[in-house]
Amino acid sequence: MSSMISSDLLKPFKLKTKQQELLIRVSILCLVYILAFITRLFSVLRYESMIHEFDPYFNYRTTLYLTQNGFYDFWNWFDSESWYPLGRIIGGTLYPGLMVTAALIYRLLHFLRFAVHIREVCVLTAPFFASNTTLVAYFFGKEIWDSGAGLVAAILIAVCPGYISRSVAGSYDNEGVAIFALLFTFYLFVKAVNTGSLAWGLASAFGYFYMVSAWGGYVFIINLIPLYVLVLLITGRYSMRLYVAYNCMYILGMLLAMQIRFVGFQHVQSGEHMAAMGVFFLMQVFYFLDWVKHMLSDTKLFQAFLKITVTFAVAVGAVALGVGMVSGYISPWTGRFYSLLDPTYAKDHIPIIASVSEHQPTAWSSFMFDFHILLFLFPAGLYFCFKRLSDATIFIVMYGLTSLYFAGVMVRLILVATPAVCLISAIAVSATVKNLTVLLRSKNKVVQTGSTKGTSSGKASSKASLDQSQPFQKNGAMALLFGAFYLLSKYATHCTWVTSEAYSSPSIVLAARGAHGNRVIFDDYREAYFWLRQNTPPDAKVMSWWDYGYQITAMGNRTVIVDNNTWNNTHIATVGRAMSSYEDEAYEIMRSLDVDYVLVVFGGVTGYSSDDINKFLWMVRIGGGVFPVIREPDYLVNGEYRVDKGAAPKMLNCLMYKLSYYRFGELVTEYGRPPGYDRARGVEIGNKDIKLEHLEEAFTTSNWIVRIYKVKPPNNRW
Amino acid sequence: MAPKPDSQSASAATPADASSQFSMDPMFHLLKVIPYSFLRPPRLRLKFPSLSLPSPMTVFSLLLLTYFMVVSGIVYDVIVEPPGIGSTQDPATGSVRPVVFLPGRVNGQYIIEGLSSGFMFVLGGIGIVLLDLALDKNRAKSVKASYATAGISSIVIAYVMSTLFIRIKIPAYLR
Repeated sequence: MSSMISSDLLKPFKLKTKQQELLIRVSILCLVYILAFITRLFSVLRYESMIHEFDPYFNYRTTLYLTQNGFYDFWNWFDSESWYPLGRIIGGTLYPGLMVTAALIYRLLHFLRFAVHIREVCVLTAPFFASNTTLVAYFFGKEIWDSGAGLVAAILIAVCPGYISRSVAGSYDNEGVAIFALLFTFYLFVKAVNTGSLAWGLASAFGYFYMVSAWGGYVFIINLIPLYVLVLLITGRYSMRLYVAYNCMYILGMLLAMQIRFVGFQHVQSGEHMAAMGVFFLMQVFYFLDWVKHMLSDTKLFQAFLKITVTFAVAVGAVALGVGMVSGYISPWTGRFYSLLDPTYAKDHIPIIASVSEHQPTAWSSFMFDFHILLFLFPAGLYFCFKRLSDATIFIVMYGLTSLYFAGVMVRLILVATPAVCLISAIAVSATVKNLTVLLRSKNKVVQTGSTKGTSSGKASSKASLDQSQPFQKNGAMALLFGAFYLLSKYATHCTWVTSEAYSSPSIVLAARGAHGNRVIFDDYREAYFWLRQNTPPDAKVMSWWDYGYQITAMGNRTVIVDNNTWNNTHIATVGRAMSSYEDEAYEIMRSLDVDYVLVVFGGVTGYSSDDINKFLWMVRIGGGVFPVIREPDYLVNGEYRVDKGAAPKMLNCLMYKLSYYRFGELVTEYGRPPGYDRARGVEIGNKDIKLEHLEEAFTTSNWIVRIYKVKPPNNRW
Repeated sequence: MAPKPDSQSASAATPADASSQFSMDPMFHLLKVIPYSFLRPPRLRLKFPSLSLPSPMTVFSLLLLTYFMVVSGIVYDVIVEPPGIGSTQDPATGSVRPVVFLPGRVNGQYIIEGLSSGFMFVLGGIGIVLLDLALDKNRAKSVKASYATAGISSIVIAYVMSTLFIRIKIPAYLR
């Protein structure tokens, strides 16, 4: 009686299997959404809610301008506070997607009466979009394989360090939004190819538009999708669905992309976009041939017609491309993307691209750091995809392989490879776990058939032998499942450790361990920028190396000569020449640029290794690339770069050396070492008695990391 | 497009054979006039080589090879040109000792350490593939058992060695 009542009470809570499955899936996705957000909050909890690195400061400044002045002023903004005296057309030289997204979220929150500061919105935009990426990964996995693979893909991408490195809270950069847009566009396109519906094609065109507005890496999409279409055509998978999907996406996407001023007419004028156009015309030829084949009944005639048409089309295409390139209408591949195809190009020809540390090629340890066990699961996932080839699996295999190759060329592009690697690894995990659980469950089926078949003696012996192997197989499968669980938990531990130790540093605030193991914080950068803001005239111009330009403009609110946009190589070379010359020649250059203050970063007291003396050879190379009067061997001794007594005389007297080591010769930095011991290079400096003639020291921060000098006006003539 | 001449046909019969075949190809008609009205094409048995798409598993093995090269850091090797193996000098005895793992940086390697790590990754992948092959129903039991043991041991060895490598390279790993 009581059991009947309790079962009646529980009846509304008893769910059918389908509903149970739905509940489990939804709860897993909710937990993954929250996990992806909170794992990126380490630096906000340890330091404060601030913007990290260099590039995000420019994005923050433009978003601030957008929210204060509205969209029209933002779109037509000419900024005279950077690249003095040239100025910069900001409206036409940035990708507005990130700023517009943050401004929209800000307006939405204010509409709901949450009065947050725009800085908090900017800091938390990237984790929010990372959570959205996990949802898109689930739907994409469901499209390629099944919903189990989708769930595993969402979990893997939520914590993968390759993605976390550029989407941590505070990293307010284009990639935080762009990876979401990339995966979303690819998902919509694969859905369009699978269903052949015009609505999904339209959606993929708009997804492409969002990607173009967000990041310059959209070139990857506009080259991967035509390559994918070409592979499908070669493997004989041409179909009406593919035709509808590609045409809709290409034409509409191209028209929408032209709305972004920075992109302009590149889709019809730039060599990097020509592959898409070529494949577009090839699709029309395929459709035409298909139609002719349908109309003709004579196969021999059709074969001849086929040969003529294909030769004619290829010839016309080649001639058109040739005429376009020779006449200059179609521009060749730009250096940034050409160096991806030929990695040795940047090293020899474009030092400014080769100098950025994120553009270095990738070593195995970077792969292991960012992917961990996904590196094992990737080839296994490829195998499963090849076992069950379909339009969708061919796409994910191509995406994975091309992005992995580019990740091998440039460390920064590991970010683009991460979604593909996570998806393919999810396929491997899902397929293996399915195989093992099928083994685990197979015992019950055999027992049932055994009981219904009766008790014939012939079957009894075979049943006995089966029963002997079944427990062994079941135990083995159980052990393997535990092994898989162990590996995945090691992956989670690794990811959390990497996030906490390596990818959560704001770069503008430095931390180190003191002598007793306590944490010491160096906030010198912000100290220097706020000194600039409060103690210099509002129209002062600051010269520094281009790394710090965005931060000086955003936090110091002063005009800079060069900044991180690096669009004018000659201007940067001028600054490099000034830094590498003797003080008199440098003074001439500084007077011609109207410089009032010079800012250098020096790590000799703290042992900070990313300072200007370590970057100095790049200044020499870039300056020497434009002004041959600067020669790199002048600063080296036997090919070696030194700052101690044995250094080259030009090195000991150049402006950068003097500004970094002024008054440093009197300072004792480490117990038991002579004064003037440089802790970052590990040597005692060569020239301790430095006299400055045309500059005077204005400010040095508390740990000597940032040093600011005032340029003295010329002497009075008599 | 030109018809293959029969081995038994008379030598003067080739123009007659050609004219009996109707062809839309303008190049064929042009060639019929310019060299081949007075030149006699030789009698050969040539077959147009047929291109066929390779099987999926062939493509997969090629891709596995490419994956091995990329993950071993071959682009880094080509551009930065590190030595195959590094060396330090023992301060006490003065003898030169080899150093396998480039210390100090995450993004740097010697050639041999890259290749051996890449091999470990591919071994782990192959282990999972062998496990899947072992669960395939249409094989003999002994083959299935050997695939399963090979697969499990590959995965275990690959994971243990990779963790060991990264621990040697980055001493502060997981601490």
